[in-house]
Amino acid sequence: MPRVLEPQQTPSFFIRGPSPLTRLVLFSALSIALIATDARLHYLDEVRQGFVALTHPLQTIANAPSDLFHSSADYITTHTSLVSKNRQLEQKTLEQGSKLQKLQLLETENEHLRNLLGASQTISEPARLGEILHMGRDPFSHKVMVNLGARQNISPGQAVVDGNGVIGQVTRVYPFSSEVTLITDKELSIPIQIERNGLRAIAFGLGMDNVIDLPYLPVNVDIQKGDRLITSGIDGVYPAGLAVAEVVDIDRNPDLSFAQIRSRPLAGVKNHRQVLLIDIPVTESAAGTIVNKTARGADRTLKLQSALPQPSAQPVMATPDANRQP
Amino acid sequence: MQTVSLRNIYLSMLLALILQLAPWAGFGLLIRPDFVLLVVIYWLLRAPHLCNIGTAWFAGLVVDLISGGLFGQNALAYAITAFFAVSYQRRLALFNIWQQAAYVFVLLVFTQCVVMVLKLFAGEDVPQWSYFFPSVSGILLWQFVIFTRLGIEPTSNQN
Repeated sequence: MPRVLEPQQTPSFFIRGPSPLTRLVLFSALSIALIATDARLHYLDEVRQGFVALTHPLQTIANAPSDLFHSSADYITTHTSLVSKNRQLEQKTLEQGSKLQKLQLLETENEHLRNLLGASQTISEPARLGEILHMGRDPFSHKVMVNLGARQNISPGQAVVDGNGVIGQVTRVYPFSSEVTLITDKELSIPIQIERNGLRAIAFGLGMDNVIDLPYLPVNVDIQKGDRLITSGIDGVYPAGLAVAEVVDIDRNPDLSFAQIRSRPLAGVKNHRQVLLIDIPVTESAAGTIVNKTARGADRTLKLQSALPQPSAQPVMATPDANRQP
Repeated sequence: MQTVSLRNIYLSMLLALILQLAPWAGFGLLIRPDFVLLVVIYWLLRAPHLCNIGTAWFAGLVVDLISGGLFGQNALAYAITAFFAVSYQRRLALFNIWQQAAYVFVLLVFTQCVVMVLKLFAGEDVPQWSYFFPSVSGILLWQFVIFTRLGIEPTSNQN
């Protein structure tokens, strides 16, 4: 059998330089320092951004084969499939057109009512279409990379949606691309509302596909299987009323202090290539309770305090913190 | 004995990096071997005078940057693995192919364990067993490359 690894040419006493142990200690110390700097002080964000911009050409090369495959697959789609797709889309346009007419009516009515109440106007947020470049590098975190970045004025915190509901949130922005954390990721939480009765809560990802958790709700909470969860909009990040998930399983165990509620995301979190990045609404509420997604331990509890619905604070929650101060 | 040039080392690392950057998804992502680590281990065992712990550490740093994880976790894991690879390198050259593969497998699993421990410290959950798939696919790829001698220069004039 041929040997793959030849014996070393020079005996070790001729090799210059420090011993392996010295090198190990040196480089371990360096990396521990780096880990600490990155985890606690966040000094390295610029370094990371610059480097990711540098590796952009490499990334393009690496993506080239699959891009070529996709584009050629697009090119040789059959006539019949195109026709049927077109028919589907037309039908969908018709259906949505009728809904849209009702929506316009509702919008004017809403505006009128808000005028009567003297409440601030909601603005419709501009959005941009992005394309998913690739999945994140770590199979155990639910992240995707999108082809819009700082050059396209994307900023961290923007909500990402598809036709059916919320997909996630922009967490890191690089010059030519940005990282989107999906709602199924462990680190992402969304302030939601139950569509049926308006109950507010916070939904957390569990790090599993197609599961969203609703913790911290009492056992006797008014929630049913099939309830739709929509964004409440009180965080100032997500526009109100976007569909998030549907409740699929409720376990009311009286021994536990909270009900265990599992829901399933409505958006095709893993399905699409095109997604919409919604600009952060520029309202006074943005100052108060932006749920900043650097969730690591301490941040998570902070977020909870700022966004958990409290029965006593109902009117305050509707008008955000910024308004409370004179 | 073939001489190993630095150019070869860096070219192979670049190639491994491109493979790592390819748009892996779904099951492919789950079993994607750590190409960069495999190349690093190969050069550590074959040419420790050119590719040493520092090279491994730097490669780990680059992997950290492209993976978007905590800065330095892969660098630390690669450096520790490189230490074990380098300290047993002379003994390993006397092993046969299967013993070498076993040792490389241990190195791969060890690297993943170090990364896992660092992630646990950073507050992540204990991963499932599928976390170790990349080591298995990595060692299969290693054996495949060794057997087919694909991309490895023939060492015909050895001995």
